[in-house]
Amino acid sequence: MTQAAPDEEGWQKLDVRMLLLDPVKTLAQFFIPLLIGLIGLRNTGTWPLWALPLAILAPITLGSLPWLTTRYRITTTQFQMRTGLLNKKQLTAPLDRIRSVDLEATVLHRLLGLSKVEIGTGVDDTRITLDSLSVPQADELRGVLLARRAAATTPVEARPATGQPAPERAPEPVEVLARIDWSWLRFAPFSLSRLAVVAGAIGVLSQFGDDLPFLNRDNLEHTWEWVAHFALALVVVVAVVVGLVIWVLISVTGYVVQWWNFLLVRERGHVRLTAGLLTTRSTTVEDARIRGVALSEPVLLRLVGGGELATLATGVGEGGVTTVLPPCPVEVATGVGHTILAEDGALSADLVAHGPIARRRCHVRMQWPTLVLTVAAVAAVVAFSIPVWVPVLVAFGVGALGVGSAEAEYAHLGHGLTARYLVAGSGAWERRRTALEREGVIGWVVQQSFFQRRRGLSTLVATTAAGAEKVVVSDLALDRAIALADATTPGLVAPFLTRTPNGPAAGAGPFGSSSAVGQG
Amino acid sequence: MSIDAVLREPAHQVSPRAVGYWRLGAGLLLAFWIVLALVWVVALPHPWWSVLIVVLVLGAATAYVVVMPALRFRIHRWEVTPLAVFTRSGWLSREQRIAPLNRVQTVDAHQGALMRLFRLSTITVTTASAAGPIRIDCLDEDVAARVVAELTEITAAAEGDAT
Repeated sequence: MTQAAPDEEGWQKLDVRMLLLDPVKTLAQFFIPLLIGLIGLRNTGTWPLWALPLAILAPITLGSLPWLTTRYRITTTQFQMRTGLLNKKQLTAPLDRIRSVDLEATVLHRLLGLSKVEIGTGVDDTRITLDSLSVPQADELRGVLLARRAAATTPVEARPATGQPAPERAPEPVEVLARIDWSWLRFAPFSLSRLAVVAGAIGVLSQFGDDLPFLNRDNLEHTWEWVAHFALALVVVVAVVVGLVIWVLISVTGYVVQWWNFLLVRERGHVRLTAGLLTTRSTTVEDARIRGVALSEPVLLRLVGGGELATLATGVGEGGVTTVLPPCPVEVATGVGHTILAEDGALSADLVAHGPIARRRCHVRMQWPTLVLTVAAVAAVVAFSIPVWVPVLVAFGVGALGVGSAEAEYAHLGHGLTARYLVAGSGAWERRRTALEREGVIGWVVQQSFFQRRRGLSTLVATTAAGAEKVVVSDLALDRAIALADATTPGLVAPFLTRTPNGPAAGAGPFGSSSAVGQG
Repeated sequence: MSIDAVLREPAHQVSPRAVGYWRLGAGLLLAFWIVLALVWVVALPHPWWSVLIVVLVLGAATAYVVVMPALRFRIHRWEVTPLAVFTRSGWLSREQRIAPLNRVQTVDAHQGALMRLFRLSTITVTTASAAGPIRIDCLDEDVAARVVAELTEITAAAEGDAT
């Protein structure tokens, strides 16, 4: 291997092949300014010949700097990295604070046998990046860091640390949680997360639309008349079919590129995901940092029985939500979720419903758009010459949609409590279920809006450091919300409870506690 | 799970001077809008019914200045035990928060310019969750200093990284 031996203090360099990658990248960044400079100089006619090698050498030197100046080493307690030529900087991370080690390799990296290493270090979201090491070196670094991290939390053996293979890496059973099943490709067209990218591309293209010579108003009107006259239905059908075919192609290609060789394993107390056709990535999260999982079934995926799974972890950065499965059958997502949670039932058991008052609130909330749009339509009838049936159609159409959404929302709404997890169900069009470890709850918020108070309902928020940092249980009767909080974290809420609703504490006037209970 | 669980009130009220502070803050805002409305009514052309709307809005704002501070004073309460912080806040809507002290990360006291006038101070207790900060609004500044010292002492004794 081209890996340089560490020096006497244990400092190691990045892989020497970075000298092929970084200068090229820098040269590419300098390319446009260089070109402009060259052309500009050429025009003035005083183009000095000696400037050309300089203009090329400068980016190459600049690009070599990271390799020349970056050093890293692992001591018994810390990971250390030095960078900088003039402004020397040393980054240190205690080994017991290292939460995740991710490897990523673009196509260029892979051609050269390199891999970028990103090390996540706990509460703050800064990550240490080593760009790049050779693949074996990166694998070894990950193994050493994660093994040392485990060792650092237990008594440390006093041993000089270099980058040599650590003897404590005894082969342990690797548990495969999931691997790619290409029959899952059928879910690709039903997952709309890629649609945003396509929409963005269309948006960019439409910017140029104005500049196209044939797209002027006359031409458009002329074309439209022609279309309307001859074959409107045919054109619409063809457009829809072409659009669908393009979408299927894009989504399937995207799925293959993103999830090629997908493998999710659990080894040595870590969950590791590897995937990617062109850019390969490998994400490793410590098991103890995973505080729960979130199962989501967007409406289209649900139609074909598919779902997505993400883990909620602390100290991973980027919101702590890591998608660990591609769109796949919901049974698979549930099964993998249960394996990660080490408990059955949290994602599949029936939830406790929130009752008829919560259902009514769902309906009221969903009918606001109906009211607003109908009023707007009536106003349009008064102001412009629009047929009277339009507002009627709007009222019934949007109203029916609202009724459907509200019923769906109520059906998904619910909560549950298992031996180790607090479970919350939510979503109208997308069914979401979140299981959060009860140990991971670090506070409670009981919210009551003015309208919720009149109905005796409340919104219970469990705050946490993992994932989206909160789990919300909506429209639950106040007393049941407090009972749920009390049952989830025994001892935390109990000192603030009173069991006598008519006691002195509850009689604080019209806005005191007593007004809200008794109706739920 | 026991039904009929009711959270009692937190033990302490905030400083009575908070009422004056809230009223002054709301009043200054109201005064600003009144001046703006007067300028508009006097200096600019407008249909007659728009004056009615302005009067209604200003009336509602005046009611807010009169009613809100007293209501808020009755709702805002707080309590610190050796194990947890417990607060209640709001006036029309309402919010109760509980955070265990062994998960607390920082304790801040904050005093704005107007608050200094009323010798008030606000304490913010943060946990590792962005959804979890607890604010105790408008404490007497001496009480606030004592509570901060107490909280700092308790949380410094806690172990782990609070996640």
